[in-house]
Amino acid sequence: MNALIIDSYYVAWRELKKYFRGKTRLIVTVIQPFLWLVLMGNAMSRLTNNPFAAQLLGTGNYLTFMTPGVILMTVMFSSIFSGTTVVWDRRFGYLDKLLAAPIKRGAIPFGKMAASAVQGLLQAVIIVIVALLFGVKFQSGFLGVLAILFIAMLLSFILAGFSLALSVKIKTIETLMAVINLFMMPLMFASNALFPVKVMPAWLKAIAKVNPITYAIIPMRDLTVSGWSIHILWYTLAILAIDAVVMLWTNWVFKNAVAE
Amino acid sequence: MNEAIVVENLKKVYSNGVEAVRDISFSVHYGEIFGFLGPNGAGKSTTIKTVIGLLKPTEGKIFLDGIDTLKDPYKARLVKGYASQETAVDDRLTAYENIYLQGKYFHMESSEIEKNAEKLLKMFGLWERRNALVETFSGGMMKRLDIAAALIHQPKILFLDEPTLGLDIQTRSAIWDYIRKFKENGMTIFLTTHYLEEADALCDRVAIIDKGKIMALDRPGALKSQIGGDLITMTFKEDDVSKYLEKIKEIPEIKEVARMENGVYSIVVEKNGDEMIPRLFKMADEFGVHITSVRLKRPTLDDVYMKYTGRTIREAESTRDEGRKMRMMKRRMKR
Repeated sequence: MNALIIDSYYVAWRELKKYFRGKTRLIVTVIQPFLWLVLMGNAMSRLTNNPFAAQLLGTGNYLTFMTPGVILMTVMFSSIFSGTTVVWDRRFGYLDKLLAAPIKRGAIPFGKMAASAVQGLLQAVIIVIVALLFGVKFQSGFLGVLAILFIAMLLSFILAGFSLALSVKIKTIETLMAVINLFMMPLMFASNALFPVKVMPAWLKAIAKVNPITYAIIPMRDLTVSGWSIHILWYTLAILAIDAVVMLWTNWVFKNAVAE
Repeated sequence: MNEAIVVENLKKVYSNGVEAVRDISFSVHYGEIFGFLGPNGAGKSTTIKTVIGLLKPTEGKIFLDGIDTLKDPYKARLVKGYASQETAVDDRLTAYENIYLQGKYFHMESSEIEKNAEKLLKMFGLWERRNALVETFSGGMMKRLDIAAALIHQPKILFLDEPTLGLDIQTRSAIWDYIRKFKENGMTIFLTTHYLEEADALCDRVAIIDKGKIMALDRPGALKSQIGGDLITMTFKEDDVSKYLEKIKEIPEIKEVARMENGVYSIVVEKNGDEMIPRLFKMADEFGVHITSVRLKRPTLDDVYMKYTGRTIREAESTRDEGRKMRMMKRRMKR
């Protein structure tokens, strides 16, 4: 167990070292939430002039409604590409180097997932700051914001794990990208990230109701729009449980990575 | 078991049915440089990857330093270092970070890594550039770093898969010198190569591998002597040199003397043709014969390869995936 944590730490260390070295990537990380909140937020701000819409959103401020959605989307889009690092590592032989070393196999995905969670956390912090600057009020207070950041990290962990598990079988970046995009776009737009489920047409509503993204946003949105409630705990526990399942899955996949 | 590497009846069939390795057995002594020579696609990389535990053997047993790699893979990984043919260094990290991480993957203390890394980086001439990003390195520097990183935990056995693939002559010979130095320090080295000169210059023993089988295994010199002796060809100023030729036929090491076209004579020597030439000159003086040209051709490992497979390594190469390999190298250069 101890060795697994230490090994994961050094796998994550490598990823984060490179992440913070990539200046362009860091700048994009900061700019992206600005764009989302400014463009989308402005475009939709008139919506809340309509009292009916405001009631549907649960808040008189569209930005407040949208902020958790933006957090989730940003985290999702960065962590889901975590698997590309494995495809690269395989391409230039680094994966073999890791597999030939006496590290725990599971440390490879766990380290990369942890690095992704740290990146997700960083992005979520930036979005929260930008949202506060635009006048978004988090109803659950400072502790609620911490809870939102925690949930964002957990989600990042899940999505990175999902992507890493896929990357073991998918040998090219292009294929991995295609597979990911196939899932990502519908998951994103058929969810409550940007619009409340209530305003959707029936068919889209049906999809949104079985979309895991919808359920991932609910606790974050509740913390932002309406404040603390007991079901936030249940949702968080459910997300934690999925985290555990994803960890078991990736561990299994990487253990069998040498099976051929 | 007093051998560094023991491989018994190793077979590897990939899931797509390709039989990459067909029943290979060999052992490598402690402290020797052992080479696998063969064209691309002969099964060299599959063998090395199976021996170090990156691939599961379909059948067979592997022992590294007496450890059964299938029963105790963790312990087996500790005794060996490995540098793959792809030069697996992370170019977005510095040279030092690369080597540091490798040490950490082998669960070394930071202080021990620092000590070994300094020694290795200095030895490989990379100490001055230790804090530079590897993306600024040349191909040769990357390869040196890769090998240095493989040595950070002071392995007993070092595995090098095509250590000089795509490198220029100077870098190649520098790497040969390093490899010889490791041997002097008592390390066992297993390498694969498709360069004849490399196998010849470096290896104590060579296994010639083709289509997943070992065709021959011996010292390079012994393998070459199977082919027959050295061939000396000569031309003379005089037309009639029969008396001289009669005389040299009496030398026991000389197996055959024959007249070829255009006044060229061929002399087959059992071995050490280079030492025979001065003797032949001296005798020519005694007989008043003037030698106008002389040429020595010694058998190469390619001749050995030819004997066992019916084609030369280069022929085998050109038909196989050399193109694929070049594309891979180019892609790497672009990155």
